[in-house]
Amino acid sequence: MIATPLRVAGGVLTVAGTYLPWATFVLNDGAYPAKATLEFFTEPFGVTGYRAHLLALGVAVVVFALVTVPGQGRILRALGVGVVAVSAVNGLWITVAGGGLGAVTVSDADVAFGAPVALAGGVLVLVAGGRGPQEAVPAWRRRLPPWWERLILLGVFVLLLLVVSAVLTSGGQGGAANVYAGAVFLSFLAAAGAGIGALHASGLASWVAAVSERHRGFSVGVLLACALALPFTGAGTEYWMTVAANIGVYAAAAIGLNIVVGLAGLLDLGYIAFLGIGAFVAANLSGAAAARVGVELPFPLVMLVSAVVAGFFGAIVGSPTLRVRGDYLAIVTLAFGEIFVRSAQNDIGGLTGGSNAIPGIPPLSLFGHGFDERLALGTVEVAAGAAYYVLVVLVVAAAMLVFANLKDSRLGRAWIAIREDEDAARAMGIRTGQVKILAFLVGAMLAGLAGAFYAHKTATASYESFRFIESVTLLAAVILGGMGTIPGAVLGASILFVLPEKLREFSDYRLLLFGIALILIMRFRPQGLVPDVHRRAELVSDPEQPTVALPAVPVKAGR
Amino acid sequence: MSTLLSQIVNGLVLGSLIGLIALGYTMVYGIIQLINFAHGEVFMVGAYGGLAISTYLLPAVLQQQWWLALPLLLAGGAVISGAAAVAMERFAYRPLRNAPRLAPLITALGVSVALQEAVRVFYPGAFSPLPFPRVFLEGAYVVPIGDGVPVRYSGLLIIVVSVVLSVALQRFVDHSRQGRAMRAIAQDRDIARLMGIDPDRVIVTTFALGGVLAGVAGVLYGTDLGFVNIDIGFQTGIFAFTAAVLGGIGNIRGAVVGGMVIGLVKTLGGQYLPGGTAYDYVWIFVVLIAVLVYRPQGFFGEPERVRA
Repeated sequence: MIATPLRVAGGVLTVAGTYLPWATFVLNDGAYPAKATLEFFTEPFGVTGYRAHLLALGVAVVVFALVTVPGQGRILRALGVGVVAVSAVNGLWITVAGGGLGAVTVSDADVAFGAPVALAGGVLVLVAGGRGPQEAVPAWRRRLPPWWERLILLGVFVLLLLVVSAVLTSGGQGGAANVYAGAVFLSFLAAAGAGIGALHASGLASWVAAVSERHRGFSVGVLLACALALPFTGAGTEYWMTVAANIGVYAAAAIGLNIVVGLAGLLDLGYIAFLGIGAFVAANLSGAAAARVGVELPFPLVMLVSAVVAGFFGAIVGSPTLRVRGDYLAIVTLAFGEIFVRSAQNDIGGLTGGSNAIPGIPPLSLFGHGFDERLALGTVEVAAGAAYYVLVVLVVAAAMLVFANLKDSRLGRAWIAIREDEDAARAMGIRTGQVKILAFLVGAMLAGLAGAFYAHKTATASYESFRFIESVTLLAAVILGGMGTIPGAVLGASILFVLPEKLREFSDYRLLLFGIALILIMRFRPQGLVPDVHRRAELVSDPEQPTVALPAVPVKAGR
Repeated sequence: MSTLLSQIVNGLVLGSLIGLIALGYTMVYGIIQLINFAHGEVFMVGAYGGLAISTYLLPAVLQQQWWLALPLLLAGGAVISGAAAVAMERFAYRPLRNAPRLAPLITALGVSVALQEAVRVFYPGAFSPLPFPRVFLEGAYVVPIGDGVPVRYSGLLIIVVSVVLSVALQRFVDHSRQGRAMRAIAQDRDIARLMGIDPDRVIVTTFALGGVLAGVAGVLYGTDLGFVNIDIGFQTGIFAFTAAVLGGIGNIRGAVVGGMVIGLVKTLGGQYLPGGTAYDYVWIFVVLIAVLVYRPQGFFGEPERVRA
């Protein structure tokens, strides 16, 4: 077989590229992270940052090329893609930000070969892939003693927490002060993606998923604990807590939208309006000076009222489903969304503040302690905003609970039946009208809940935050993640709301890239990143299913 | 009285413009049952294309002569919009021809966002409204009724061009060989293919025709209002879609009539309904919802078939 030597050569090239210089000079703002300059010769073996990632990937390529393991081809393919992505991101960044090709080729007779060599190594690994993609993902069915399995799950989830924290903070806060943020983040994302892809390709990810399914209660508990522990990791600063809390708001809303779109198959293009309604209701009941309704209610009650009001409007918006189907329904929801924005913009009834918005919504507080203040738990200091994060984790967890229970309920099965074939569902005795309106109602309630939280967290409720493009973004989050699954909605929301934070220097191109991404997703991976098993079967004919069907675990597969 | 009349005139002018765009929606939907959400952006691209031609290509001498400048701008806008529409069909929609219904609609949203942002990012100065040269005769003809009802010449131009083009389109679809092929594809794509019609070619022609009409509309819009803005595509696109549905989607005459009705709803609603012009959009959306719910086949549409 020619493949093995080629793969080894690819891995060796990657490692060699790691140790070659990446730029011919020190960049203006100081050395590129991990000293991607000629100066690294002062410290030849001290690779850090993306070069450490490349080193790890290259060594892994060599190891997996020589040792035969199940799923070898797929593992190598994932690693190769990772090498290509990491070296391309960094090579391009150095070239572009370093002022043209001179940054990586010739300057003062020095040549920086790092990027091209590593890139060539990655390409070589991919070219040598051979039968990689056709190979089935190996299905591991080994069972360990329950306590061992739980211990492994605990380790995996803690690792996951650390990865999430690292992804969130990698590159630091983007913006003019930190021009490296975007490149470092993308590079780290590529490396982490390669690692996760390799784990998936080895079948271990599916095995862990199967194990966690066996210990469901335990997994949920540990996951929740891990999520709540994020403030104690490196991400526990005020800035990242704010980002994480914002992601949480959109994740909760995305789960609600997922009920409408993912389960019931009703495309809603005005969904953000319900988040807006929740926010405006909460703003009016918060005792803010600018609010027309000068009532101040305790926050749990406010959440309840917001959810109920949003649900009421959800039922109204959903009522045309009795007569309208498909794309026409999508347009009706869009029209409702636009009516909401126009009305809010015009300060309808004095309730929305119009273009002045409703500012000065007081922060939440518990036991006389404001949620926006720093908190000291004994000797441990917790960053300001962590309390909001904890609360939003609970809100998202509640939304997940609602979603998971509904999905497996009689109602959830009715929704799925309607999505598959409405006429057949009706023939089977499902009251389609009521059931569809219920989907809108429940989805809107979740958004209203998130909106109430959002109003207090951002301290303002403005119609600007609830425009059409926000609805499209939420929809894109659901689609990108995978319609009809919980991890999908959360993952999609995280990606779509972390990327703009990280890629500030590309902020002009944000929406452009977003639009193009939407087109590409529908073209190449319409089932999303974490597809629903049934849904995937409809969207793609895929020979990559594991040979032995696992319990209902979403299987992520490359195409 | 003259307020009412001049609002009616305004409504008809706006309506003709909307009708011109609605033709693109209606033809595409009629043939492949796709709500081409990005069609409004094609209109916007046409307006910016015309602006680019007048700013960067036309010598100032030509600008002075409206009978030279106007046809050049119209042709330029039409070509650019037509090209945008063709590219959109080729790269975004064609690969999804047999995908589930949701997929092309979401793609259309993506195309819409991408087109709008591409113009905003790459057209110099497009982040704020840009002045558009008034290449046609300025001023207005005053109809001597009551205190006098002014009809802008550029508005008159819009009405005339719109009516002429829609009549021409109707004749094209009814009598030309291409038009027959379009109708055949609309009825049954598979059978049409068996009869030797290439569906891809016909569909791309349809997109191109719609794009050309939208481009003309874009240049006319700029000439009449004297400025262009990035979000005209989305707003006007929604109005045009409403008009197409109102007239009965797939029906050319319906699109024009629907456009007129929408134009009148906007101007008269802004004038006489509570809330004034701040709420004129809302009335259009209310009309849209009401039509979709109570008469989805519109004025001239076929009685409803089962829609997936």
